Amino acid sequence: MLLSVKKLEKRFGKRTVLKGVDFSVDQGEVVVIIGPSGSGKTTLLRNLNFLENADAGTMNFKDRQIDLAHPKKDDVHFVRRHSAMVFQNYNLFKNKTAQENIAEGLIYGQGMDKRQALTIASDELKSLGLAAQANHYPSQLSGGQQQRIGIARATVLKPDVILFDEPTSALDPELVGTVLDDMRRLAQAGQTMVVVTHQMSFAKNVASRIVFFDDGQIVESGSPDQVFNHPREERTRQFLGALAENY
Amino acid sequence: MSTVKILRVILRGLPNTLLLLSWSLILATVLGMLLTRMKLAKGRFWQGLANLYLNLVRGTPPLLMLLLSYYGLPVLLKLISINIEHWTRLMFGVFGLTIGWSAYLAEAFRSAYLSVDPGQLEAARSVGMNNRDALFRIILPQAAVNALPNVENLVIGLVKATSLVYVLGLFDMYNEAANLSNQTAGIHQLQIFVLLALTYWLIVLIIEAIFRQIRKHFALMA
Repeated sequence: MLLSVKKLEKRFGKRTVLKGVDFSVDQGEVVVIIGPSGSGKTTLLRNLNFLENADAGTMNFKDRQIDLAHPKKDDVHFVRRHSAMVFQNYNLFKNKTAQENIAEGLIYGQGMDKRQALTIASDELKSLGLAAQANHYPSQLSGGQQQRIGIARATVLKPDVILFDEPTSALDPELVGTVLDDMRRLAQAGQTMVVVTHQMSFAKNVASRIVFFDDGQIVESGSPDQVFNHPREERTRQFLGALAENY
Repeated sequence: MSTVKILRVILRGLPNTLLLLSWSLILATVLGMLLTRMKLAKGRFWQGLANLYLNLVRGTPPLLMLLLSYYGLPVLLKLISINIEHWTRLMFGVFGLTIGWSAYLAEAFRSAYLSVDPGQLEAARSVGMNNRDALFRIILPQAAVNALPNVENLVIGLVKATSLVYVLGLFDMYNEAANLSNQTAGIHQLQIFVLLALTYWLIVLIIEAIFRQIRKHFALMA
C-alpha cells in the first residue's frame, strides 16, 4: 500500500466534513473519487497533502506513520516531497513564465540546479507541444494550456502519487479533451493518481478503482464496472441515476 | 514680474522638496513593511502594537504630525537621554512625513498581500517549497504588483504633503513661493501660485509616467 488514511476527520466550525474516512491507494492505481458537490471530496484530497489540517486520523505513506491531527514538520515535508497536486483553478504562479512554473518545484522543492531544471521544463513543454509558450505568463495562456502546464509542473517532480482536484471543472468544454488526454497518458505510464472529477467517461475508461463519496464518507468503492453497472448501495444508484438523467 | 524669475525662485526649493520626498518615501516604505509584518503576525502583542500606531497616526493630520515631530520629538527623546538638537529642519520634516506615510503605506501593503490568491501559496507548498521561498519568490512579488496603484496614489499625496514643511520654516518650493509673494506684497500672488501649481503638476506627471512604465512592465504578472 502506497498511501492509506484511517479514521480521517475534518471539521469546519461545527460542521463535520469528513466523518472518519478510511481510504487507500496502491502503487500504480488510478483512484477516481466521484460524488455530489459539497460531499467532501476536495477536502479529502487537500487533507492528503496537508493543505488542510485534519482534526483526527492517521496516515501511512511509504511506510511512514503520520498522526494527521498533529503532523510533524518533517512528515508534511516528506508527503509533499513525494506527492504533487493539480488544482481546479490551475494555480500557476502568476509571476512566473510557463517554463519557470514547471522548473520552480524542481529547484526550490527538490534542490535541483537551476539550469538543469529549466532544461527539463523546456523539454516537458516541447513534449506537450507548448514550446512556443515557454516564456508566456499564465495570463497569456488559455485555461487548457494552464492546466496542462499545471499537470506538467506536478509530473516533473516524479511524485509517487499525483492528486487531481477537479482538473477540468474550470475549463471550457472544448479544452477538456486535451487535459484528459494528458491524464490518460500518465495513467497508462503507470503513474499513481487520485482524481476527484465529474468526468464520468474518464472515470469509466481510465480508473482502476472508483470511490463514491457522499456526506463526508465513502459510500461505495469498487471497479468502474462494479460501481457504474452494478452499484451495491442505494445512494450510489440515486447519484448515477441523476447523472444519467442530466447527460 | 517675469515668469522666469518666479520659476527660478520656486526651483530654489526643489532640492528640499525632492529630498523630503525621496527620504520620506524610502524610510516610510521600510517602516510600512515592518508594520505590515507586525499586523500580519500571529502574536497579539505585535498586532496590537501595530494597530495602536496605525490608529494614532492615521488620526493625526500630517501638518500636526510635522509640528509634533519638530517640537515634541526632542522633548520625548531627552527623557531617555538622547539629544537631537543638532537635527536639521529637513530631518524633522523627513521624520514627520515618514511617520505619517508609513501608516498609509502599511495599509496599502497589507491589502496587497491579502489580495494574493491563497491558491498561490498552496501551489508553492504542493511543489515542496518552504514558507520562506514561497513568500519571497511567489507571494511578495505578486503583492508588490498588486500594491502599485495604491502606492502610486500615496506617492502623489506625499509630493503634495511636502509643501506642509513650511510650518517648520524649511524652504521647499511652497515656502520659496510664499516668501516671494510676501516680499512683493501679494501683487504677483496669483501668478506665483499658478506657476507653483504647474511645477507640482509636472512632478506628479513624471511620477505617473514612472509608475505607468512599472505597471506596464509587470502587467502580465497580475
